[in-house]
Amino acid sequence: MNAPHIHLLLNHFPTVGFSIGLGLFVVAILGKKEVLKQASLVIFFMIAALSITTYVSGNDAQAEIKDQPGVSAPLIDAHESAALVAFIFMQATGFFSWIALWLQRRVSRVANWNLAVVLALSIVTFALMARAANIGGEIRHAEIQSAQETAETSTGPTLAKSWALFVQSNSWVWPTCETVHFIGLSMLFAVVLVVDLRMLGIGKRTLSFEALYQLLPLGMLGFTLNLITGIMFFVATPQQYTGFLFFLKMMLVVLGAVNVLYFMLLDDPWKVGEGDDASITTKLVAASAIVIWIAVLFCGHMLPFLGNSF
Amino acid sequence: MMDLLLKIQESGFSQWVRESDSLFAFAGVLLLHTIGMGFVVGINACINVRILGFAPAVRLSALEKFLPVLWIGFWVNAVTGVILLAVDATQKFVNPVFYVKMVFIAAAIVNLRMVKNHVFRDPLIDKVPPSMKAKILALTSIVCWLGAITSGRLLAYIGGGATVK
Repeated sequence: MNAPHIHLLLNHFPTVGFSIGLGLFVVAILGKKEVLKQASLVIFFMIAALSITTYVSGNDAQAEIKDQPGVSAPLIDAHESAALVAFIFMQATGFFSWIALWLQRRVSRVANWNLAVVLALSIVTFALMARAANIGGEIRHAEIQSAQETAETSTGPTLAKSWALFVQSNSWVWPTCETVHFIGLSMLFAVVLVVDLRMLGIGKRTLSFEALYQLLPLGMLGFTLNLITGIMFFVATPQQYTGFLFFLKMMLVVLGAVNVLYFMLLDDPWKVGEGDDASITTKLVAASAIVIWIAVLFCGHMLPFLGNSF
Repeated sequence: MMDLLLKIQESGFSQWVRESDSLFAFAGVLLLHTIGMGFVVGINACINVRILGFAPAVRLSALEKFLPVLWIGFWVNAVTGVILLAVDATQKFVNPVFYVKMVFIAAAIVNLRMVKNHVFRDPLIDKVPPSMKAKILALTSIVCWLGAITSGRLLAYIGGGATVK
């Protein structure tokens, strides 16, 4: 299995997966079904997480096929630009879906503003993603290439290239993003350590899971800072982020997303009150969260040493 | 003074850390330093935002139980920090950013002791909301750690020497 193959596999999540989520979400809102709302929010959140791997695998796929005959370089650029915009909206959808999921458990129902934001973002994301997928399909399928779109692609620098140029010509941007990336990392670790170490027994006498649940947005905020700065690094210098190590980091982030959903959706951790021991399953999931996020840090940190960065 | 720094920097150990391809050398030491940072700043961040009123259901007294985790991170970073300093002594000791970082960390640790005395030793902890003084201490702690992270990161960009961006 090579890089284009992986990209082709993963690109079904943001298109097919997301449309299933959107359909379900509309049904849930019309039918006022809380459990369906929750299901579609979970789909949006997980598809957003999986889209990270889809987006970065496109970079590897490009590196592998760009010099092959029959591959249109301007179309790859157009696909990349369209995908970047769609990806950003997808992440915004995922973020507000997470907030809605969090509130659903915290105050037992999702606020209407929150549902409206998710609905609006998901419709825009769906349209943008369909456009990106359409252009992507044309890269290798000359028979569906339309002359008009080919012409469109050759005008001006892409969004990604303008950003890369901006980073190159302003030496303060990279260190600033790095600093924010480290601050975000600390915020994420804050929540991962306190919530998961409590599940493993530290401070259990006076800490319930329900109380700790209130801390989760701090970790999500840290993760969001790192996602934003991470996209900034990646888009500025995509050539640094090809290869297995970075892809592994992104897959571990998806695992981290699954991990937090365990704590947000299942009753098992929720029932851990003051003085209670968590179940063995919850302890294992808690321990794996710490391992996952340290592994994410490891992969990122080792990029200059084991990967091809810098 | 410079002779001594050069001696430290060119010692067998420093050379190995700096030049070995082993992941346990420079890469590993720096990795531990970053993980340690996550532990120290992370636990501090939880305590500070809780004092400021976020996550009110979490008992402040319970967060004191996590201080040993913070101290593990702190001592890991003290040791790895000394190693990182040794491998690049001639550059780091003349870099003003390094001293800025040390001042932020010293201030943050003094701040933590004050939080311990004023918040965790308070017999009324969790019975009355944190005082204005506690909230100011939480804010200054956040400022100190943000300053420490920022200056630490900038050490990789300002002044030369063995480093990784």
